[in-house]
Amino acid sequence: MLVTSIGQGLLWAPLVIGVFLTFRILDIPDLTTEGSFPLGAAITISAMLQGQSAVVASLWGCLAGCLAGWVTGVLDTKLKMPSLLAGILTMTGLYSVNMHIMGKANIPLLDQKVLTGYLPANWSAELQTTVVGGVVTAVVLVALVLLFRTRLGLSLMATGNNRAMSAANGIYTDRMVIIGYMVSNGCIALSGALIAQSNGYADIGMGIGTIVIGLASVLVGEIFLHGRRMWIRLAGMVLGAVIYRYLLTLAMGLGFPVDDLKILSAIILVIVICLPLLQNHYRTRQQLHQYLKQIGVDNHATTSSLDRQAPTEGLLSRNDK
Amino acid sequence: MTVKHLQKVFFPGTINERHVLKDVNLTILPGDFVAVIGNNGAGKSTLLNTIAGTLTTDAGELELAGHRMTKRPVAYRARWLSRVFQDPKMGTAGELSVAQNLTLAERHTGSLSLKWYRQAGQTQRYRTLLAPLQMGLEDRLTTQVKYLSGGQRQALSLLMATLSHPDLLLLDEHTAALDPQTSAQVMDLTERIVTTQHLTTLMITHKLSDALRYGNRLVMVQDGQIKLDVRGQAKAQLRQADLMDLFTA
Repeated sequence: MLVTSIGQGLLWAPLVIGVFLTFRILDIPDLTTEGSFPLGAAITISAMLQGQSAVVASLWGCLAGCLAGWVTGVLDTKLKMPSLLAGILTMTGLYSVNMHIMGKANIPLLDQKVLTGYLPANWSAELQTTVVGGVVTAVVLVALVLLFRTRLGLSLMATGNNRAMSAANGIYTDRMVIIGYMVSNGCIALSGALIAQSNGYADIGMGIGTIVIGLASVLVGEIFLHGRRMWIRLAGMVLGAVIYRYLLTLAMGLGFPVDDLKILSAIILVIVICLPLLQNHYRTRQQLHQYLKQIGVDNHATTSSLDRQAPTEGLLSRNDK
Repeated sequence: MTVKHLQKVFFPGTINERHVLKDVNLTILPGDFVAVIGNNGAGKSTLLNTIAGTLTTDAGELELAGHRMTKRPVAYRARWLSRVFQDPKMGTAGELSVAQNLTLAERHTGSLSLKWYRQAGQTQRYRTLLAPLQMGLEDRLTTQVKYLSGGQRQALSLLMATLSHPDLLLLDEHTAALDPQTSAQVMDLTERIVTTQHLTTLMITHKLSDALRYGNRLVMVQDGQIKLDVRGQAKAQLRQADLMDLFTA
């Protein structure tokens, strides 16, 4: 069961990394995800049905995702729309685009060679999935770690953190936001391409709930691996994707039908948002008690009022400028 | 820097219409250190924001170091001018480290460049830059800026703004959010940097004593127009009482 989760998790990892880029680096909740994920799938499967190789088709899917990100980026920066609305608009528009690309709501692959087909046939399906997911995720991870060591990467981080300061230091922040959306949605669409090949079809509804999956995985990943270094943060996203898959597999093992997975995803997201908040609150309180005891203050007399002021850093709060 | 016939109108055509800058003309010579004072709402912040590019000009011309800036975005102007914000949190990126913030302020390479941002010898260079601040920042290069105090952040912000030797330095009440002692410290630092680097500076302040003490020129903005513009000897002879009279006049 864990092996399946690892394989599937690695296929979802680029999506989680993509959501991380907009949500954590640019500080934008980007709903384009729900459209760019099936877009990647639709483009890839259509291209493969027209005779493209799996590698080329997947790259096309990824590029299409970048284009979707560009649209949201332009709506957000140039047309000054709130980023949530920009994402919703692109996502809604992409539904029609995806229908046109596919021609119908679901297109199955026939006997085309998918990415796992390049591996030795005597390997088990799980191993094949793990290797393909692992290689693609590793490439994405290394590329991003290198990106964030460049001036461009630093400018992206600065833009997400403090736009006024970035502009004052000569960074064209609109460009940075657009680039961020493009890279993010490219990753997300790539994940869509991988999942579609693994499933053997592209479906118009496969994007539903992906933003919740992405956010939940980001938060789960941050619970298990936290650090400031970019490669640790990104590795945490991969881990988050795998653990999240494992949680879903566990839930299905308990007998939940597939249709209930969406509400389970939502519940998991609620839990992983609340858990660190409670943890933080509890830890602060404990340390406060300890500190007050140390300096000899009767904590029963004072804690109740101090407690309420105990700072709990909101997980979903915007960056502290 | 030259500002010619600058006009700024907020909410034109509505009941809230406010003509904030009324035909402002101002020429700052290289090496000038101008202190700008004025009532709340007089238009001094609007003037500064229009020069910085965060507000657009409604009419008039703006020229900096021989380049026309009137319609240029903030990021473009950053090649010639730098700015320290009033809020210490505004001038630095809190999630990034001290070193990363300094790197951002070194504007040799464009923001789209794919060169590594960490260069050999950088750490040593930053340490020598930070040591004169005497705030211990040279030993905290990898600390995230959000963990620094307001005074430390503002000093860093000031250092960053002057790192690229700008043709014009804008100081937007940059000590207003600090306690009196830190405020004096940052003001001293400002003067030290401005004089050693011969920076052309425009400083907005609400503290009349600072306006009188620092700089070679004093400009008073009232009701969207420049009401007083004195320099050199005339400025040195100015007393706080004279200014108070002008405020109430």
